[in-house]
Amino acid sequence: MIAESTRCVISLLAPDRIGIIQRITSAITDMGGDIDGMSQTVIHGYFTVILTAKFTQAYSKEQISQAIQDNFHTNEASVIVRDFEEKAVDIPKQSDRYILTLTGRDRPGIIKTVTTYLADNNINIEDYYFTIQGTQVTHIGEISVPEHIDIKQLYGELQTLVSSIDLVATLQHENLFRVANDIFSIRQLFKMEPCDE
Amino acid sequence: MRRVNDILNTVRMLEEGNLDVRTVTMGINIDDCANPDIAKASVSVYKKIHSCAKDLVSICNSLSTKYGLNIVNKRLAVSPASRLLEGHRDKDGMQLARALDRAAADVNVDLIGGYTALVHKGITEGEAILINSLPEVLSQTKRLCSSVNIGTSKAGINVDAVRIVSDMILKIAAATSDNNGFGCAKLVVFTNIPENNPFMAGAYLGAGEGSCVINVGVSGPGVVKRAVETLVKDHPDVSLDEIAEVAKHTAFRVTRTGELIGREVASKLGVSFGVVDLSLAPTPKVGDSVGEIYQAMGIAKIGAPGTTAAVAMLNDAIKKGGIFASSSVGGLSGAFIPVMEDHALAEAIKQKWLTVEKMEAMTAVCSVGLDMVALPGDISAATLSGIIMDEAAIGVFSGKTTAVRVIPVPGKKVGDFVDFGGLFGSSCITNVACPDGNEAFIAHGGHIPAPINSLRN
Repeated sequence: MIAESTRCVISLLAPDRIGIIQRITSAITDMGGDIDGMSQTVIHGYFTVILTAKFTQAYSKEQISQAIQDNFHTNEASVIVRDFEEKAVDIPKQSDRYILTLTGRDRPGIIKTVTTYLADNNINIEDYYFTIQGTQVTHIGEISVPEHIDIKQLYGELQTLVSSIDLVATLQHENLFRVANDIFSIRQLFKMEPCDE
Repeated sequence: MRRVNDILNTVRMLEEGNLDVRTVTMGINIDDCANPDIAKASVSVYKKIHSCAKDLVSICNSLSTKYGLNIVNKRLAVSPASRLLEGHRDKDGMQLARALDRAAADVNVDLIGGYTALVHKGITEGEAILINSLPEVLSQTKRLCSSVNIGTSKAGINVDAVRIVSDMILKIAAATSDNNGFGCAKLVVFTNIPENNPFMAGAYLGAGEGSCVINVGVSGPGVVKRAVETLVKDHPDVSLDEIAEVAKHTAFRVTRTGELIGREVASKLGVSFGVVDLSLAPTPKVGDSVGEIYQAMGIAKIGAPGTTAAVAMLNDAIKKGGIFASSSVGGLSGAFIPVMEDHALAEAIKQKWLTVEKMEAMTAVCSVGLDMVALPGDISAATLSGIIMDEAAIGVFSGKTTAVRVIPVPGKKVGDFVDFGGLFGSSCITNVACPDGNEAFIAHGGHIPAPINSLRN
């Protein structure tokens, strides 16, 4: 049973169609839930969403899950509901966000090679995606690099690592991409939190 | 999640377009170092520069790593050294120059500007000392750069100063004849000199500036060329205004990266951020050329009729993109056409498509003036004076900055080749179409009065 005025984390996976977000958010809202965070994406026609919500009434995780499922066809959506545990989140606070790009010929194992290195160096991946054009692939990782890590050394090691699988790496602080593509005043950049524009 | 195209376009600007920050230039006011004893003044100058700039290079290098963005040059620009020479003797210029040069070397910057005299209305004793010292100073120092302002739209043109400086250019060429007159590449003769220009050889810290300030010069000719080239390749029937639009958008991105670097350098050093100069500054490298942009726009032979229009359109588009990108745009901010530093322009000179006279027209609508033009070693002082006065007239009467940085190459004649290496580049020697016949006009000396500011047709 989720206690009154507590948060839970909800995720859903389903084949994409019109109205998925309306169905899941309606179920939560009708139970008195207040959605305070949401992110979704679609890959090859499959939709997934993760959201957090606060409930003012006591519901079990099963009740919330069933209420959402009731808005979908049988076996259409996979739903997970968990208690929100702030202490369970273990991400280094003092870090800078960098953009890592890898380009070259596609082959199996690229993501494993790179993510293993990043995990071993306590570098969190905040987003990771790639595009394929013919035989060429471009991976983009938005990563949080702890302050104590030497960027020059990190970049050198990444270049060495991916050159062994015939890829070229670039690593640049996120702010470069923010200023080159957004129109906010750069003077404000030094007063803002990352991605706060 | 950032848009994939935004990230890839930005990476490509660096990787394929040679986007870099051409210079981070620290301006330092050295007026407080004045002293009746030139030795003491020189020590004060050295100490002040060292104190202000000792961390400049290391901070630039760390930001270069952080952003994966090359910061090509780290430079200094001091307030006009002529002020420290007031009340001194002729030989004192060299002592001060050595202190400036040594300070620049010891903080590991590429160049230091500000061996400067502002003589558009008259020449003080200190300014005369500075100008007379130029052959010795520019032949015996390595990093020191000089500029002389001989005209403004408010004061007109000081023709007496033009004549003196022209003589000096020939003497500098002679003093550095063992290096093809290279000393002349470190002297710019300005009209309407900007007070916050970060580019060399004309950088100095103006009287209206603060005591220590960071100005940044970006460089993106490769990025603009790539953007225009891609547009034209994908859409061969594209109109010129669409090309201008692409150049404008690209200039926006380039300017923003420059301001980011400048503000962060200034923040880390605890000094003011001044301006980002959005000039398209080429290097001799293929793919980093302003001339290649004109070629991408359809001017196959730079210098052909239409070239001036292409220059005007590009220069305007760059300014529009840059001015929206930042409220701190200054310096020269346009498209440079330094012949020796741009392989496409140098080739146009070699092929005789581009002439001094055509460049003069181009400078009426672009950033600076006759820049890095190699001339025959036997050119006369009167011819040089005429070239400088023509450029000054464009600047004074159209209310813009113009400049002359020409190199009479000792012992060389039209068509000969000269190579300074590095960023200074190479070119064939060119000539003015009619090099004499102006002597009586120049010999009058005096002043060309400031222009009227109404009835402007």
